[in-house]
Amino acid sequence: MDENATARLKKTASNWTLNVALFVAMAIICLPGLWIVLNSLRPTVEIMAKPPIWIPQSLSFDAYVAMFSGIGEGGIPVISYFRNSVIIAVTSTIISLAIGMSGGYAFARYRFKGKGGWFLGLMLTRAVPGIALSLPLFFLYARVGLIDTHAGMILAYTALNVPFTIWLIDGFFRQVPRDLAEAAQIDGCTRWQAFWQVEFPLARPGIASAGIFAFLTSWNEFALASQLTRSTDSKTLPVGLLDYTAEFTIDWRGMCALAVVMIIPALILTYAVQKHLVSGLTTGAIKG
Amino acid sequence: MKAWRLPPPVLLLLPAVIVLAAIVLLPLLLSLYSSFTPFRLTRPETIYDWVGFRNYERIFTDADFWIAFGRTVLLLTVALNLEMILGLGLAMLVERFTRGQRILRTILMFPMMFSPILVGFQFKFMFNDNVGLVNNALQSLGLTDQAIPWLIDGTLAFIAICVAEVWSSTSVFAIFILAGLMAMPRDPLEAARVDGCTPWQTFRYVTWPFLMPFAFIAMTIRSLDVARAYDIIKIMTDGGPAGRTEVLWTLIARTAYSDARMGMANAMAYVAILLSIAFTAYFFSQLGKARAQVAADW
Amino acid sequence: MATLTLSQLDKNYGAFHAVKGIDLDVADGEFVALVGPSGCGKSTTLRMIAGLEDITGGDIRIGDRVVNDLAPRARNISMVFQSYALYPHMTVGENMGFTLKIAGRDKAEIDAAVAEAARALEITQLLDRRPAQLSGGQRQRVAMGRAIVRDPDVFLFDEPLSNLDAKLRGQMRTEIKQLHARLKATVVYVTHDQVEAMTLADRIVIMKDGNIEQVGTPDEVFNQPASQFVAGFIGSPPMNMADAVTTATGLRFANGLELPMPPGFNVAEGRKVVFGLRPDDLYPEGHGIHSEGGHAVTTMDLTVDLSEPLGNETLLFVDLADKRFTGRMLNPRRVTPGEVMTFHLDLSNAHLFDADSGLSLRGA
Repeated sequence: MDENATARLKKTASNWTLNVALFVAMAIICLPGLWIVLNSLRPTVEIMAKPPIWIPQSLSFDAYVAMFSGIGEGGIPVISYFRNSVIIAVTSTIISLAIGMSGGYAFARYRFKGKGGWFLGLMLTRAVPGIALSLPLFFLYARVGLIDTHAGMILAYTALNVPFTIWLIDGFFRQVPRDLAEAAQIDGCTRWQAFWQVEFPLARPGIASAGIFAFLTSWNEFALASQLTRSTDSKTLPVGLLDYTAEFTIDWRGMCALAVVMIIPALILTYAVQKHLVSGLTTGAIKG
Repeated sequence: MKAWRLPPPVLLLLPAVIVLAAIVLLPLLLSLYSSFTPFRLTRPETIYDWVGFRNYERIFTDADFWIAFGRTVLLLTVALNLEMILGLGLAMLVERFTRGQRILRTILMFPMMFSPILVGFQFKFMFNDNVGLVNNALQSLGLTDQAIPWLIDGTLAFIAICVAEVWSSTSVFAIFILAGLMAMPRDPLEAARVDGCTPWQTFRYVTWPFLMPFAFIAMTIRSLDVARAYDIIKIMTDGGPAGRTEVLWTLIARTAYSDARMGMANAMAYVAILLSIAFTAYFFSQLGKARAQVAADW
Repeated sequence: MATLTLSQLDKNYGAFHAVKGIDLDVADGEFVALVGPSGCGKSTTLRMIAGLEDITGGDIRIGDRVVNDLAPRARNISMVFQSYALYPHMTVGENMGFTLKIAGRDKAEIDAAVAEAARALEITQLLDRRPAQLSGGQRQRVAMGRAIVRDPDVFLFDEPLSNLDAKLRGQMRTEIKQLHARLKATVVYVTHDQVEAMTLADRIVIMKDGNIEQVGTPDEVFNQPASQFVAGFIGSPPMNMADAVTTATGLRFANGLELPMPPGFNVAEGRKVVFGLRPDDLYPEGHGIHSEGGHAVTTMDLTVDLSEPLGNETLLFVDLADKRFTGRMLNPRRVTPGEVMTFHLDLSNAHLFDADSGLSLRGA
């Protein structure tokens, strides 16, 4: 065989190997999610069957119906959990966006003493593990009566989200040329007007993705919620998931159905911002 | 006369500082204080007993604590390194495809949407010795006829936890490194090929030096969030069997809430916090260096 | 050094046919320039020679070796990129020595080779700097240094001067020419700038829409353009052109103007043609570029619409056959717009092209 044929063969072979590798990797990423969706639709007998049934025999939405018909099968108040999750996640997202915008703008546009130190300090507050924070926070909340309230959870999640929102929004404001706001000011705007008329609209996609990131964090958080919530007054979906576990048994089907309910909003939102999310984080980090 | 006003950056940062001081800093000070007391939730008055470093002395001589500490560091080292390598590989595989990139990228982000607690349940289900996907598949394929006790054997459980953790967080690395790959100028890569580099040499001498800061961003972001692993472990094994997968965070939760020994738990928590902060601060400083390099050169 | 042969070289991007089966022989030590407008396939051709693009059909031969499917590293070529493509994280010295380092040469040998190339390009004092600290012209030299160090069979240049300002471009052009004279290297040089091609190349390949329009020495492509496209592309300011029909004695233009048949052309009556005349061959009496004897000169009074004084010469714009023609005035004097001057049309250097195919009718 001459060297060209060998080279061609090698190229084709490595192409195929890499394609197969990508396919396998993608399958591994998708499989657990699909497994959950599938099992939420199957009757428990089929899930438990030995030997395993690979091809589903009967599919139904029973688990979902049971879940949403109030105190249904297993007695899980999913609707309350869902409502709590939405209220807490949305409110804390809005507040952390407001705080993050003002903080991010400060880092992107002003020079001040110890800027790097302040930034690192804010970020490090995020590094405190939720479980470590939950102990004193539990004690503190118990004192001021914030245990098992929406307000308590909203505050906690706001604090959790602020560092990251600042990082993201700082990155996006950096991308907006300083000249634009200056031009607007020369055209007669106050600094405040210049911000809302020029800089804010341009940074809006970034702010939106920061918002969705904050929402997802609140939506998915467990360590704090599991300690700071007690009842249907404030329990969120991740905590509610535990209701499907009894001492030694787990209602797999019900849990899978609740998991699907949790994941769908997250899925939609992440898809909506995937592009801005990464570009925001990387510009923030590279051009810092 | 002009009224005295706060300078704008101070004013703008104030809300953030207030919230973080109230929800993070104040509790941390409180927990620092209570770590010097024998505080028990059941006996509130014990918070006023000052015992100095007794809690710390106890945990530093407690073998269980050190084992959990070691296991935490091991888990982080194994998981972060695996995630980095796999994420890099994944990003380079996806980058080759010019068509269908958007779809691939979305799939890549799929695990990031999963709440860690969901990841825990999902893998608890899949690794279930009786009805789990993994054993079912192995048995159906005839690779084994027994039920492998994934979550019951200590070592296997640790492996299962690593798998769950890697599954859920490799995406973070893949996404950032992919962003790096797409931002990379093409010409130096082509120049390297013409200059005689094999694909490996091209990667080693040209691609990797460029990607490094992106990997550090991912590392930094991940290190802010490593304690998410608590949720996964809590669900999958809750530190069991018999403490064989106990990590710092599960140990803290158990000490605080099951044993109600808050003072002791807070002392442990402080060690965990310092560990986290050390990791994060380290990656931040590395990021700073890498960033300076890229900004100056590329 | 080695020869380079392209035969029936083809490149498709999906439905788009970028290079359409071209043939080209480059002799050992020859400097060949590929020119053409953007999208003509010249860069694609170069990248196929380098191995950066797969070929769809045909053969590429370097020396006696067919390299169609070989990786770039197996072809022993050097390439200078438009963006220079220096490795930003390496010093100038490391950049230049990189190819030898990869080849596994020992350090002393690499240092010697780099030092020699650096001396030749006068960049010895820059060896410890990073590319980001260099000016455009310096980067350009480093990129060339990197190419020289390898001692390749073929040098490939992809629009290497297009990112430099005009003055530097002229200077680097001279240096590339001297370098080629010294190294006696086989060079394929892609550019869209016909001045670069004319000054540097032994032979010029003019491409259009994936085809080769003409291959020839600078003198050939300038004086005997094979087609209307080549005639319009080579030369600055570009050749003046106007549609005409052949008559028994010469040419008749749309506005009724008649000119005698240019010498060297023998075209049947009634054929639609395009008449071409370079600005050098349209000049006011006494200000011509050619000696005025022995040429088929036609004289005509024309009104100057506009003049562009350039110092050593002045470009004059006149209306001829309802087209704006450019004339070149040497030893210029002041010309006011609207002035009527007596112009000489040197038809011995005029061209005729077929109106449909665009091909030259010389000798037809």
